[in-house]
Amino acid sequence: MQLTAEQEAIRNVVREFAVEEIQPVAEECDANEEFPEEVWDGLAELDLTGLTVPEEYGGFDADPVTYAVVNEAVAYGTLAVATALSVHCLATSCIAEFGDEAQKERWLPEMVSGRPVGAFCLSEPGAGSNPAQMTTTAERVSGPAGDEYVIDGDKQWITNGRRAGVYIVFAKTAPGEITQFVVPGDVDGLSVGEPEEKLGLRASDTTSLTFDDVRIPAENRLTPEGEGLSSALSILTGGRIGIAAQSVGLAQDALDRAVDYAQEREQFDGPIADIQSIRHKLADMHTNTQASRLLVHDAARQKAEGTDGFPTAASMAKYTASETAMDVTNEAVQIHGGYGYTREFDVERLYRDAKILTIYEGTSQIQKTIIARSLLD
Amino acid sequence: MKILVTVKEVAEAEDDFEIDGLDIDERYLEYDLNEWDDYAVEEAVTIAEDGDDVEVVSVTIGPERAEETVRMALAKGVDRAIRVWDDDLESADMLDVGTKADILAAVVEEEDPDLVFSGVQANDDGFGATGVALAEVVDMEWGAVVNDLDLDAEGGVAHVHRELEGGVEELTDIELPAVLTIQTGINEPRYASLRGIRQAQRKPLDVQGLGDLGLDASVLESAVSRTAMFEPESESDVTVFEGGAEEEAGQLADLLRDKGVVEG
Ligand SMILES: Cc1cc2nc3c(=O)[nH]c(=O)nc-3n(C[C@H](O)[C@H](O)[C@H](O)COP(=O)(O)OP(=O)(O)OC[C@H]3O[C@@H](n4cnc5c(N)ncnc54)[C@H](O)[C@@H]3O)c2cc1C
Repeated sequence: MQLTAEQEAIRNVVREFAVEEIQPVAEECDANEEFPEEVWDGLAELDLTGLTVPEEYGGFDADPVTYAVVNEAVAYGTLAVATALSVHCLATSCIAEFGDEAQKERWLPEMVSGRPVGAFCLSEPGAGSNPAQMTTTAERVSGPAGDEYVIDGDKQWITNGRRAGVYIVFAKTAPGEITQFVVPGDVDGLSVGEPEEKLGLRASDTTSLTFDDVRIPAENRLTPEGEGLSSALSILTGGRIGIAAQSVGLAQDALDRAVDYAQEREQFDGPIADIQSIRHKLADMHTNTQASRLLVHDAARQKAEGTDGFPTAASMAKYTASETAMDVTNEAVQIHGGYGYTREFDVERLYRDAKILTIYEGTSQIQKTIIARSLLD
Repeated sequence: MKILVTVKEVAEAEDDFEIDGLDIDERYLEYDLNEWDDYAVEEAVTIAEDGDDVEVVSVTIGPERAEETVRMALAKGVDRAIRVWDDDLESADMLDVGTKADILAAVVEEEDPDLVFSGVQANDDGFGATGVALAEVVDMEWGAVVNDLDLDAEGGVAHVHRELEGGVEELTDIELPAVLTIQTGINEPRYASLRGIRQAQRKPLDVQGLGDLGLDASVLESAVSRTAMFEPESESDVTVFEGGAEEEAGQLADLLRDKGVVEG
């Protein structure tokens, strides 16, 4: 998998940032359920918050392979930060792709600088794998201030829920007709729920949102009425490459820690790395992590080339890489023995963090549904 | 104003390595920007950002492989780079301080900078002399181990703090043109930004051979030769205590008693 000189340099810098600036705070942020805002500011200085914004709005406009390389490297620091970044990028992608000139001018240059942070609000308490089931509504009304939409409903599991200053919101403008909007964080009637208490990804800010008679100008509609769901799915298909790449970064982190530990820990008069069953575990972890990486890069290349096979490739990458992250972190804990079951060792956190990868942005079951459909239907 | 920064790609050995002849076996080496030079680059780039019309040029003596490191300096804000290398340099056993100073001096002649920054030392061969030797060859003022710099570009003076032994600092005024060897900690080197990296791919990186600089292979002749490289035998006697704080304290107490440090 040959990277260009530019991609290679980006990988090295972001990886160094992850090791020097993110890894050292990961454990504490997990324990305190606190998002490291100073790390976010560092990401902005590196231009990462403008990763998927066109250059004319000050962004970096990364190609899909670069996008994957960055996501892997940030997740090597910690998944909570990588998730926050990729959701911010989903939001900027929506505005860049569907917004009119005025919306792009209004939001993108600021979001490139890191603030306001973006959020992507699709899921609801009663609508996860099947977003078409959503019940949030946006009703068009004419008021003294011109045409407006009035949004009512609940969103669930919103990453950057509290941190965000701009929300991409999906709501029904008529039964069966989902439409996409951009909602500023300071509107009246928008309230943010309590942070979820999660198994992993604890430094990530995940909340519910309640929209109670939230009024936004009609200009804040990003897609034509009824075209919101297909737009969401197309953005999410690209987003899957990001999550898949993050899975690889997390798996690599766990693998590296397991390799180090296996060489240090001695039992039966020698390092456990001399024991064949440990060696084979590490061989499996290494092979599957690299295989996942290759699937991710293949999907990214297909996206760059715009192939028909790209959505399937993205699903295969997300499915394989996220399940691999689960397997690799599981084995990394096993290699650490009892120590790996304690908070003293990072693999414990990685193991808890990995699980979300098989759930959000399309569960493994949904990915398999997509892959099978391309094969059979 | 022009600032020339000497930038070196250094080899770093892994924790476990083997020696092959007069050097560490290539298999165990990784290459990176010399730590001190990172600070020198940052210092130059900051001056350029704060001032009007300051050009920052880097110079590296090194093979093609070093371009990755040079591009990183360009990504951090260096305007253009020069890399000196050719077959004669490639086949040289070792480049001693005199040789490097002569080569860099030829670049200084060509570029005519107001300031030259080099690192205090390189973390591989650690001669710690190149910057100062260069000042001597080009007949510039110099200041070594600079850990704070306040530049008066108009007055042509660099007010520098120099780090002396024992926590003492010296304040010196040095007239330009001058060579300053930069100490770590003088600033906080930045990470290259993605946009910087993209721009760096398009910035000029000029490769010059000895001939281009008006030199020839005689500059490589050296009175210094490396005769051996080895890892000194180290003798250590380490006791690692394991267990809870109380157990560890007990083990320490036993040891101190055994060694006769305490009685009882
Ligand atoms: C930490 C976290 C952060 C998140 N961030 C965001 C965010 O920023 N924005 C956002 O919009 N959402 C976000 N989500 C929501 C996430 O995308 C959903 O949780 C996910 O899509 C699954 O939906 P669900 O939880 O309702 O599960 P369900 O859809 O109820 O699924 C339950 C189970 O049924 C299976 N299942 C459902 N349908 C099928 C089917 N057709 N075939 C086979 N199996 C099926 C699923 O695979 C799963 O195993 C986040 C979730 C979490 C936990």
